[in-house]
Amino acid sequence: MSDVNWRLAMRSLKRDLRAADVRALFVALVLAVAASTMIAFFLDRLERGLERQAGQMLGGDLVLEQRDPFSDELRANLEDAGFTLSDQVDLVSMISRGDQFQPASLKAVDDVYPHYGVSHVDFGNGTEQIASGPPPGEAWADPRLVQLIEIELGDRVQVGQTELTVTGIVEREADQSGGFGNFNPRLMLNTTDLEATGLVQQGSRVEFEILAAGSPAALDQVQGLLAELRRDGVEVRDVRVDRPQLGNALERAESYLGLAGLAAVLLAGVAVAMSTRRYVERHLDTAALLRCFGASQRQLVTIFSLQLLGLALVAAVIGALLGLVGQAILLWLLVSFLPMTLPPPGLMPLGLGVFTALAVLVGFAGPTLLRIKQVSALKVLRRELDPLPPSAWLVVGVASTVFGGLLWLYSGSLPLAIALLIGGALLLGLLWLISAFLLSALLKGVQRLSGSSEWSQALRLGGRQLARRRQAGLGQLLAFSVTFFAMAMIVLVRGDLLSTWQDQLPDNTPNYFAINIQPSERDPFEAAISPRVDTQSTLYPMVRGRVIAINDQSPQDAVPPDARGDNSLRRELNLTWQSDLPEGNAVVAGAWFSAVEVEGNTEPGQGWMSAVEATPQAVPVPISMEDGLASRLGLGIGDEMTFSIGSDEIVTQITSLRSLNWDSFQPNFFVIFPPGVLEQFGHSYITAFHLPETDEGLIRELITDFPGVSLLNVDAILGQVRDVLTQVTRAVELVLALVLLAGISVLYAALTASRPVRAHESGLLRVFGAGTRMISRVQGAEYALLGFASGLMGAVLAELATGALYIYWLDLTPRFHLGLWVFLPLGGALLIGVIGHALSRGLRRQAPAASLGLLGEA
Amino acid sequence: MPYSSDKTANSSTAQADRQHLTDHQVTSMVPHGTAGQPVLHADKLSKEVTSGERSLTILHDLSLSVAAGESVAILGKSGAGKSTLLGLLAGLDTPSDGELTLFGQALSRLDEDGRAALRAGRVGFVFQNFQLLPTLSALENVMLPLELSPRAGETQTAVQWLTRVGLGERVEHLPKQLSGGEQQRVAVARAFVTDPELVFADEPTGNLDPDTGAQIIDLLFTLNREAGTTLILVTHDHALAHRCDRCLRLDHGRLEPFVPASAISEEGTQ
Repeated sequence: MSDVNWRLAMRSLKRDLRAADVRALFVALVLAVAASTMIAFFLDRLERGLERQAGQMLGGDLVLEQRDPFSDELRANLEDAGFTLSDQVDLVSMISRGDQFQPASLKAVDDVYPHYGVSHVDFGNGTEQIASGPPPGEAWADPRLVQLIEIELGDRVQVGQTELTVTGIVEREADQSGGFGNFNPRLMLNTTDLEATGLVQQGSRVEFEILAAGSPAALDQVQGLLAELRRDGVEVRDVRVDRPQLGNALERAESYLGLAGLAAVLLAGVAVAMSTRRYVERHLDTAALLRCFGASQRQLVTIFSLQLLGLALVAAVIGALLGLVGQAILLWLLVSFLPMTLPPPGLMPLGLGVFTALAVLVGFAGPTLLRIKQVSALKVLRRELDPLPPSAWLVVGVASTVFGGLLWLYSGSLPLAIALLIGGALLLGLLWLISAFLLSALLKGVQRLSGSSEWSQALRLGGRQLARRRQAGLGQLLAFSVTFFAMAMIVLVRGDLLSTWQDQLPDNTPNYFAINIQPSERDPFEAAISPRVDTQSTLYPMVRGRVIAINDQSPQDAVPPDARGDNSLRRELNLTWQSDLPEGNAVVAGAWFSAVEVEGNTEPGQGWMSAVEATPQAVPVPISMEDGLASRLGLGIGDEMTFSIGSDEIVTQITSLRSLNWDSFQPNFFVIFPPGVLEQFGHSYITAFHLPETDEGLIRELITDFPGVSLLNVDAILGQVRDVLTQVTRAVELVLALVLLAGISVLYAALTASRPVRAHESGLLRVFGAGTRMISRVQGAEYALLGFASGLMGAVLAELATGALYIYWLDLTPRFHLGLWVFLPLGGALLIGVIGHALSRGLRRQAPAASLGLLGEA
Repeated sequence: MPYSSDKTANSSTAQADRQHLTDHQVTSMVPHGTAGQPVLHADKLSKEVTSGERSLTILHDLSLSVAAGESVAILGKSGAGKSTLLGLLAGLDTPSDGELTLFGQALSRLDEDGRAALRAGRVGFVFQNFQLLPTLSALENVMLPLELSPRAGETQTAVQWLTRVGLGERVEHLPKQLSGGEQQRVAVARAFVTDPELVFADEPTGNLDPDTGAQIIDLLFTLNREAGTTLILVTHDHALAHRCDRCLRLDHGRLEPFVPASAISEEGTQ
């Protein structure tokens, strides 16, 4: 029997392809798959590409760093997991040219370097892009070093016990490993020359690094090994957790793209639901006939389910192919914006797309399809005997559940999916009530329109037509509202996301850091830069200190095993003191120094500050710690930390935790002391400023006037972060266009589905003597009213939903969008009016008999 | 225009009938088929419908037996419950009371699916509004019942039947490309394509002009006679009823033997 059902289903599917609703259903499904696979393909590739770019900034997908050379066993393990390894050695040494000496940060790289990207090097003929390090015997210097010891290309510089020829000036290194931590000018050399320098000896301060490039799977495979290495005190940098300045933007972009993908799926789902309704209505007669000819209920459901399944599978294949082509076009369009080559598409998104199509079909078409089962054979004799449509609650309930499942799948968060679902259900109920109210209010308003102009007459008639089909009108209103809502939300989020990114890195983001400013140079330095820079951060005093105990234990024993290799425990930390909370910082736990009352306080209201000043070291010194570091080290308010500064030890206690934005390109500190404690130690100042491109002369002057001050240009890093934001922005805009397209196609599908009813109405109007112009205006007015109401509802929904999304998902501050409330209703009226009007053009030209006959076929 | 005027239909079909009667001898106007096992037996069928608090009896204590090969006409005014009775007899609906046996099986013991299975391939239908599926070609419409009970050479059988009803050249046409009469021919071919034992016809000429109606009736009776099928025909057209072996009239929920006026006038003129 199943063979019979399959045969029957496929035969009727073949015949059914002639029907408008089946075509609409097919198009909706193709669209759902195309949209979801296209976004999934693109996201997957972009994500892997961006990860690779982050890897490029890091120097590899995985970077290991320690004071001693790495064992061969570790290398073998990493290579077995599928990593390609590159060795790098970093050390600080004095270099000289003639009688000029300068401490420099040496970076020795091997022949594998770099794993990703290219270095921008000037060999004397302008900047070239090159994917290697200097060959043996040669060295490349950075522009600062060139300036400081006046190097010419071809000069020989003394490095330890050997001499190297400087053959290139590195404008930008392929990787940014080293980052801010290293303030000395850079000299890049080949690892084979390192031995000859004699600089790597027992006890010298050398960092050995393994830069490993490999797949995410390889990274997953070695997680256990990495945890072990961290416990042994090895610093481990993983492309997926390191580099927060990429992390935030990327995470939000991914959330956004995922959200856009879901919006496209939701829209396609709405289209599927609408087409299925019409499909089922049209097949009630077929079902009744089949019942009459002896088909069982189960057989009916099987036949029609198989038919839709067949349709879905064909749609899935076509949609997936379109998605594949689409993402290729997307990348082709984006190619000039993408400074990276994306990896080839994976298979996973394909599976996800097909799964999504089936889920959308089951969720959005299932309950409606079951209506076929209820058909009575008696309908062949009494046409009016249609089974009741499934309850709206059932349809919405099942669709929401399936959509919730997809939300879970895409977002990976069950609580979020449940919250969105419950919120959505409540919202939908509310929406139904408001829609009903809105529709009647609007219709009443329209009926009150006085005036005998053709337009007011058209509005009255159009309004009445809408009122007559109240339930159908409400259904369409809901569908269009959801469509407008999804489209509006994607537009809104995009705008706010982009402006947040813009705010994050405004044009005057500091591009220079100045460090090692001695206390005596502080005021003259400030006076020198202040009039000539756009922005300048506070001058922060800086003292270097090492953590030697936590809660009276050795730091290694006090922190979780994974944190043993943490940079903060292995190196000296930059400590500062401030009486006020620095800009961009926010206290997330405890209280800032001035707000804490303590024993020994001499001046009420001055909190810790006066206590510290009054009795230094009588009580543990309060400190404020960055919350990320505290959470990595497993520390909280009240924990004690002992610092060794110079020859002294200072016991401190954490009294507040701060969140701060590491992406801000401002000096940021893990630990801040209150004034009155660190002043006794030798300290220097640090500041950041934005120097306009037109005033490069200032840098030369500063180097001359303040030879001890190190100036660090972060334009390269800033540029790289901006590049990433730019390309993500392009992707976001393209995906937005796709969602808008999906939205318009839903409107199209819905309006196509309601064509027969409208054809019938226009036929009747024509029978009663209405001219083409009148019918055209009445239909236009009806569509416009529907569009206006939907736009208004869409605005309500979008404003509420974006607010919630910003707070709970995208981590942005909610804002009110006035434009939304104006443009969505007007745009809705225009869009639905125009599409509806265009679609009905053919109908209006038909003779009444034909349009009335069209309904008879339904 | 759902119904043609009775008068016009009567006068035109009477003319057609007259010609038809010369071709086919009408054997009897009273029940005769008691020789074989009845194909259909209804015993004290009642059908009540409730609308709000009001209950309306449409059929009351109605009994009927139809023998194999017999043709029975059920006459009645519009709203007399003819279609309700047809629905009950074909097992499309369930009676409020009474028992109905179809092909020797008591329908009350079968559920909806059981009744459907009983009909499969054994019962054919011709409807007033044709009930052709608009997206299916003539051939596909005829094949539909065959596909539910598959057998070899479905397409060939369907084409043969379409040829028999005079549409051999138009098998690929969609219903909307066919005239009313042609659509009903397709429906007749569909009713007979499974070689059914019993054919129900519900006002088969109701939506057709008299001439076309007459042609359809000729076709229906010819095929019925050739196939030896049992025919139960519901109509308000006396002339059409007259051509059946037996005529019954449904009046106030009861069924009673009836001799159509056209038959009396026919006999009177002979």
